[in-house]
Amino acid sequence: MKNKLWYLTKVSLSRKIKSKWFLVVNIILLVAITAIFNIDSLIGLFGGDFNEKQKIYIIDHTDGLYPSFKEAVKQTEVTLNDKKESSYDIKLYKKSLKEGKKKIKKDEKSILIELQPDEKDILKVKLISNNYIDTIDSQILTSALTSVRTTLAISSLGLTEEQISKLYEQPKIERIILDKTKKSEEENMEMMMTTIFPIIILPFFILSIYLVQMIGAEVNDEKTTRGMEIIISNVSPKVHFASKILAGNAFVLLQGSLLLIDSAIAFAVKKIIGSSTIVASGGFDVVEIIKTVLGSSLMNQLVYIIPLMLISMILTFIAYSLVAGILASMTTNTEDFQQIQTPIMLVSLAGYYLAMMAGVFEGATFIKVLSFVPFISAILGPSLLMLGQITILDFVIGIGIVIITNFLLVKYGLKIYKVGILNYSSKNLWKKMFKAVKN
Amino acid sequence: MLKVEKISKYYGTFKAVDQLSFTVKPGEIFGLLGINGAGKTTTFRMLMGLLDPDEGNITLNNKKIDYDITDQIGFLTEERSLLTKLTVKEQCLYYGTLKGMNKNDILSKMHELLEKFGISEYENKKIKELSKGNQQKVQFITAIMNNPKLLILDEPFSGLDPFNVELFKKEIIELSKKGSMIIFSSHRMEHVELFCKKLVILMKGKSVIEGYLKDIKEKYRKKNIFVKGTIPVDQIKDQEGVICVDKIGEEYQIKIEDSTYVSKIFKEISKSEDITKFVVEEPSLNEIFIEKVGESFEE
Repeated sequence: MKNKLWYLTKVSLSRKIKSKWFLVVNIILLVAITAIFNIDSLIGLFGGDFNEKQKIYIIDHTDGLYPSFKEAVKQTEVTLNDKKESSYDIKLYKKSLKEGKKKIKKDEKSILIELQPDEKDILKVKLISNNYIDTIDSQILTSALTSVRTTLAISSLGLTEEQISKLYEQPKIERIILDKTKKSEEENMEMMMTTIFPIIILPFFILSIYLVQMIGAEVNDEKTTRGMEIIISNVSPKVHFASKILAGNAFVLLQGSLLLIDSAIAFAVKKIIGSSTIVASGGFDVVEIIKTVLGSSLMNQLVYIIPLMLISMILTFIAYSLVAGILASMTTNTEDFQQIQTPIMLVSLAGYYLAMMAGVFEGATFIKVLSFVPFISAILGPSLLMLGQITILDFVIGIGIVIITNFLLVKYGLKIYKVGILNYSSKNLWKKMFKAVKN
Repeated sequence: MLKVEKISKYYGTFKAVDQLSFTVKPGEIFGLLGINGAGKTTTFRMLMGLLDPDEGNITLNNKKIDYDITDQIGFLTEERSLLTKLTVKEQCLYYGTLKGMNKNDILSKMHELLEKFGISEYENKKIKELSKGNQQKVQFITAIMNNPKLLILDEPFSGLDPFNVELFKKEIIELSKKGSMIIFSSHRMEHVELFCKKLVILMKGKSVIEGYLKDIKEKYRKKNIFVKGTIPVDQIKDQEGVICVDKIGEEYQIKIEDSTYVSKIFKEISKSEDITKFVVEEPSLNEIFIEKVGESFEE
């Protein structure tokens, strides 16, 4: 019987791997991941440029405010975006406003700003563009113009240079964090991790959906063709169920490893073609993030978070596969299975979104409680753990709950499976299944 | 020997099989008949060990049916139990391995049977690409490739042309000669009559007729008289003991209550000068089946 278990597992797994779609999907994944990691080079290839600076032309009718404005933009960029190099190419335009407008119409992306004194001899501004202005650009320009106007207004009050410089002096802020495990210089790290974390757990989310679909399709295929009767007459439902769980999980682990290899290839390509450091995923340079993480104290946490996260994910994969097998055994065709598995997929989707937005719900008890819920805990738990909202013990308890869930799914699910796989009628389905659990 | 002793199976309060008993000896072909929903599939599932009887026992060569013994059973289901995405070879390897056979034995038996049934060229074709008849051949091959001690055939001739029906019949008889116990189920009574010396007819899970076919026919009192020539149909119909007179082709079929009325009818018919045939025959299994099933429905 043990040999039959390995045989069934091997057949189930090799049927998936030897399918031409497995090869096609993985080629597409490799190309897609490489493209995403090298999107800047790809855009550059078609003439786009991530480093292209926003052109701003200034018509200055004031008493030489242009240099102050240029400096103010630079300072605002540093304050808002922590940028050392300006994203703007600001030039003085000496022709008329009419000529300027013509230029803007030709050079669609550029912006024209006319600075002139108002009736109170301070500052009046015309901001001209051919199209809508990007929100961040608008914010920076408005902030810079406000700063220039404030300077002008203050200087009109007849203050001394010393007084003005005192007025602009930044306050000295001493940052104190009471939690001794946290360092102020790594304050942004956690937020950064919560932003890139959804990218890390996305494959888990996709693979769990894939796993449910795979097991459901296989069990349904064997049921609808009535091949199940021949199979179950030679191997017990327990062995058959176990083979589906083993094959499904082996497949997702293999697919997960291939995704890692795809990512490594994508990194290698990025290194070889030497694309710019502006981002690949979600506005961050992944290489830089990894370097920062490796050099930070978060690394000490990750040493135990990553293995625990992997254990939790594998146990959750098993939970998903058990549920998929049980549900598939109850249904009589693929359409019914698609409907019956929808709630479990919605739970998983909710878990994914909650993990993405964990930072927003900081301190919420509801989110903490959800991090113990099986099917969700594997993705929500690590996110909350990194944010410091749950402790390592909480996460371990979450893992324990998944283990108990899996045990119960095996114990009672197997009873349902045994009855379900030979049931071809949807009449009194739930009654039959409850009866199976009771027996 | 397969021994089925007073087995019953309930689905909730519904009794699908009710105190059914029969035996099948090595080399025997046994007919398990019944209309749809009579309890045949449930009985097959119990024979295959897929379901446990709620009452009674099933033993094969004095051993209870379990996973140690199901390797010795071959099962051809009414619906084609084939995984249509597999090739013929993959399917044979799959079911053969589950029956505990090793790869070399499976392949050599598969080649022998594919050759026998004239489908060697489809070895690497996917099952879904085959015709219904060829799919049925593959199903039959997977059912017999382990030389089963007990072979269950549920509508084995479904989708087959007359030529292939003959091929199947030959193989079934050969297996029976080799000592396999065969349980045969079909709605085509002429096939059952051809194979089965012994049978049981199920109705609502209960046996309504059981025993040797010869005895069943003998016990059944009604007879058929086949006459060729000109006969006074209305006069014959009015005779005592005549159930009905039907014209089938050039012959008349006279159904009578029992054989005691034969001489009286013969006297009446012999008055005609052009009678070329007068034969008294046992009723067909089909007639017995329809009448018995009808009686059970009325009950």
